[in-house]
Amino acid sequence: MTLQTIWSGTISFSLVAIPVQLVKAVETGRVSFRMLHSKDYSPLVRRMLCPEDDTIVPPDEIIRGYEIGPGKYIVITDEELESVSPERSRTIEIIEFIDMKEVDAIYYDHPYYLVPSKGGEKAYRLLVEVMRRTNKAGLAKFVLGEREYLVAVKSTEEGLALITLHYSEEILSDKDILPKDDKVEAEEKNRMKKIIKKMITDFDPEKYADGRRKKIVDLLKKKMKEKALVEAPEVEEVEGAGPADLVAALKESMRRVKKNR
Amino acid sequence: MSRKIVRIAGRRLSLSNLGKDLYASYGFTKAHILEYYRRMAKFILPHLKDRALTLKRYPDGVEKDFFFEKRCPSHRPAWVKTAEVRRDDEERITVCLVNDLESLIWVENLASLELHVPLARADSPETPDSMVFDLDPGDQANILNCARVALILRDLLSDMQLASYVKTSGKKGLHVYVPLNRKETTFEATKKFSKAVAEIVQKNYPDLVTAKMAKDYRKAKVFINWSQNDASKTMICVYSLRAGEKPTVSFPLEWKELDNSTGEGNPEKLQITHSEAVSRAEKKGDLFRGVIVKKQKLPYLEEYF
Repeated sequence: MTLQTIWSGTISFSLVAIPVQLVKAVETGRVSFRMLHSKDYSPLVRRMLCPEDDTIVPPDEIIRGYEIGPGKYIVITDEELESVSPERSRTIEIIEFIDMKEVDAIYYDHPYYLVPSKGGEKAYRLLVEVMRRTNKAGLAKFVLGEREYLVAVKSTEEGLALITLHYSEEILSDKDILPKDDKVEAEEKNRMKKIIKKMITDFDPEKYADGRRKKIVDLLKKKMKEKALVEAPEVEEVEGAGPADLVAALKESMRRVKKNR
Repeated sequence: MSRKIVRIAGRRLSLSNLGKDLYASYGFTKAHILEYYRRMAKFILPHLKDRALTLKRYPDGVEKDFFFEKRCPSHRPAWVKTAEVRRDDEERITVCLVNDLESLIWVENLASLELHVPLARADSPETPDSMVFDLDPGDQANILNCARVALILRDLLSDMQLASYVKTSGKKGLHVYVPLNRKETTFEATKKFSKAVAEIVQKNYPDLVTAKMAKDYRKAKVFINWSQNDASKTMICVYSLRAGEKPTVSFPLEWKELDNSTGEGNPEKLQITHSEAVSRAEKKGDLFRGVIVKKQKLPYLEEYF
């Protein structure tokens, strides 16, 4: 697999330590658009504006405030935030094994794959097989970025997946959703059971696709053929340095800097 | 050899050759040097803290031979903090950490006028806390040419939502720092980013900036050295003295000083010597504090969750 590694470290429990890399498991199918200036097709950028004096605020003058009431804030500094952030860690420490069926889908946050690193292939394969056979998943705490996540490590068809889970305090209650009272008559129940039974089938996600996305892609292809392109104003070339996005952004910034000097 | 025993924070230190003139033509002795670092300790220590120090020692003064010392001398007092670091050749060496006044004075007693430190801390040697642009003028260029380039960098970085800070090198150049202070930063990222920035500035200001490292080509231009963004490189620490004719200091400037300086044409105004350094720091505080506390993310490069 050649996916970009988001994190690398080891899965560990008891005496087991398996070197792994975390990679993306999903790529949302959203077609994203750049915002352009209709007059000259320059790609637009976001700026922080101070409404008080209508000026653009430079990054070194931006701080964080927690709003506690209209116009009232508690200022939190980078250091304070740092002091409550978890230490970065190189391990996914499995604390317990659970039955994945017990985890309601409401708890699922975001899925990733875990890929074995060099030297860990054998232990990785063993863990995948045992987990698949026992249908168990490892529950672990895992620090990434500045947050500590509760995660489930489970087997998939071809390997291991890591799914970040919501903390229970994040889950909103579903009580009071169910309307109270009114007996349901047995006859009605049976009728609905029958209807559902008729509609039962195996889950086949490939039957479904994002219709709007497909239409947008088709539209883009069609316009491409018609050469319905517009071009942003020329900025001076740089030879291939750094990733394309960075170079493009630098060019835009450079153009603005030169204009304002 | 004359010796003097002093106590600092309860530690006993034997200071030697205090009367020795280390900046001979200026009349600046080892006692002056120790006094400079004593007064500047509260400003320089946070920037030295937990970084593998490279000593640059001038035992016979700035006009004579010097030597670099990466290993912490084995005759060090037991209370000098050290760290184990891996060198490029994989060999592990013990380095000094200057985390307190007594260690700073001990290091200066070794005539280590210049204090050089990496951009990363010893316990996370692959994580740079900042990205740096080392502006190095050619033979016919001076610090004012560097100031013009520094201002372009400031504007460009600011347009990319990155705050930057500037200090004199203490010699002819300027150093522009972009604080990052994020555990996710890598030298690979800072190298890519700084290289792309250096190249676009050079392309757009070819009369001011050269892409060539070789001195012969630089002449009246400035070289933006981005390759300092490397785990194996060190930078002169802010507030460190420099070995030259005069005891100049690598000292932080306010951007408005550069805004005001580029038209005037007196390069000396941007050169800060020891006494000015002390009075400025005591009056204005640590202008470089942001470099070690401000958290910023390099756009387009660092992976996010």
